[in-house]
Amino acid sequence: MSKKILTVDDDPDIIVFVKTVLEENGYEPLIARNGESGLIMARAEKPSLILLDVLMPKQSGIRMYRELKSDPELKDIPVIILSGIAKRTFLRSQEALTEFGDEPVPDPSAYIEKPVDPGELAETIARFVK
Amino acid sequence: MMENRLLLIDDEEAILRVLSISLRHEGYVVFTALNGKEALQVFEKENPGIVLTDLKMPGMDGLQVLRRIKEINPDTEVIVITGHGDMDSAIDALRFGASDFINKPVRDEALRIALDRAREKRELRRQLQAYTTDLEQMCRLATEEVRRKSEFQDKLITSSNDGIVATDERGLIILFNPGAEKIFGYSRREIVEKVGFEQIYPEDVAGEFRSGFRRKRDKRGWGWKEVSIRGKGGEIVPVRFSGTLLYEGEKVIGSVGFFQDLREIKRLQRELVQSERLAAIGQTVARLAHYIKNILTGLQGGMYVVNIGLDKDDMDKLKAGWTMVQRNIGRVSDLVMDLLTYSKEREPEYRECYPNQIAEDVCELMEVKAAQNQIEMVRDFDPSIGRVSMDPGAVHRCLLNLVSNAIDACLFDLSENKSWKVSVRTGREGENAVSFQVTDNGAGMTADVKKKLFSAFFSTKGGKGTGLGLLVTHKLVQENGGRIEVESEPGKGSTFTLHFPYRREDGGGSGTEPLAAKEH
Repeated sequence: MSKKILTVDDDPDIIVFVKTVLEENGYEPLIARNGESGLIMARAEKPSLILLDVLMPKQSGIRMYRELKSDPELKDIPVIILSGIAKRTFLRSQEALTEFGDEPVPDPSAYIEKPVDPGELAETIARFVK
Repeated sequence: MMENRLLLIDDEEAILRVLSISLRHEGYVVFTALNGKEALQVFEKENPGIVLTDLKMPGMDGLQVLRRIKEINPDTEVIVITGHGDMDSAIDALRFGASDFINKPVRDEALRIALDRAREKRELRRQLQAYTTDLEQMCRLATEEVRRKSEFQDKLITSSNDGIVATDERGLIILFNPGAEKIFGYSRREIVEKVGFEQIYPEDVAGEFRSGFRRKRDKRGWGWKEVSIRGKGGEIVPVRFSGTLLYEGEKVIGSVGFFQDLREIKRLQRELVQSERLAAIGQTVARLAHYIKNILTGLQGGMYVVNIGLDKDDMDKLKAGWTMVQRNIGRVSDLVMDLLTYSKEREPEYRECYPNQIAEDVCELMEVKAAQNQIEMVRDFDPSIGRVSMDPGAVHRCLLNLVSNAIDACLFDLSENKSWKVSVRTGREGENAVSFQVTDNGAGMTADVKKKLFSAFFSTKGGKGTGLGLLVTHKLVQENGGRIEVESEPGKGSTFTLHFPYRREDGGGSGTEPLAAKEH
């Protein structure tokens, strides 16, 4: 059975693109359009890996990442951040949340800045999904 | 010190001896002589302040001695001793400058009075002389001081960077410092005592001076203001000017004008504006490039998906990829249209239309996206707005931008369990305008965001906005003679209100003339 990979993004272009890349590489894509439904789907499906956008309506990727990493059942799922914002901006916002009293969270497994190259995406996923 | 040196002259030795004993007793230093010749020798040697001489003497008589002594030192007090009743000689002596006379036989009392008087006179003269000397000295010092001050002021005026121009009471220029030479380009030799202020002052300043010269004292001066002067050779020089009339009591005695050269400042300002403009262009280009890169990413993704579809003969993939390509071509097209609208002057195209219908069209267009994201769309249209003449294209575009922004504001609101709502309201504004109001209860804006709202390529939507929407809206509203108002509070939402003027259909007229001309 092919491994499930969850993509959380609100951009229809990215959804179609990532879905195609995943299918091409033999994974089963799961799609969520915001952080809220992404979290529900992660709990329900227990995917092997999560691809997460940062700037999204409803619940942002920053908040969803925290929730993932603080949930004992989900925290071991590797997360690759796939975003238009720079890596250091994301890391800094995580630090800020930690300073405001939240539990510290580990850095994401990988960080890919958009635009994403199909080959690079596939290779990065392969590194974390055995 | 009171004069106490005294020369006593008498041909009778006994009298000499008695008198000198008595005078020494009084505290005088007494020199004696038995005749005129000897007296003059002693006088020249000792130069006593007071001489007491007998008139009748063999050889050189007292009058001759008196005249000689007065020649040698006119300040000497000479008291003559006359024979009893010899009034004529006494008067002669007084005429030749004797200060007093006493009769023989010389009584101590008369002698003391005469001597005291002589001594007082000498003292007075001495004091007078001292005063005169002091006065002369003070006068010289004062003159020197005045000269130094005047020189100092001259140097101040000369070394001032400001141009200083002063006139006399007729307006003739009498002072033109090097600062003024630099600004006006004329040398002081060409100006001073030759030219009136009217010939070099800018017209409005000259006018004010002119009326100031005519009026009675009512105005002290003019504060700094920016004017342009025409220098030698016609160069227009920007300056800061201030000036004042000079009064002595109520009378105008002249005027002075101060000119600060603004050429360098203006040049720096131009350079600053230029470099700011370049920086703004750089920023604009960077943002535009970023947005185009986003579209390109979408196109590349679409191409990738289309290629897979072609390879695998997969119609679904082909369709999905093609949709991506189409969507991103749509974004390019929207961007180009926005850029064109923004960069081109555009005349509003007035047509008869129903503002409520335009608002309805926009709501229908956005309803699907709103519903997908659980955002309620509320319509509140004023039914009394009928058919009017306005630019429906512009109104549609502006309203669509605002409603689309309002939905985004709800989407990007991170509050939890909020029921999001976007309201579109229309209303009449007096007799000739319609308002369109779009309110959301989404994320709201900080003051900082509000400030940049209408600047080019500013977007809070990450790569998803061009940063042109509100800019274009603003421009269209302005071209239509309307205005746009924004209220917003972070976390509470925003309200954008458009005011569009229109021409009433029943008001007649072609409906094509510009609105501004129609205003009462």
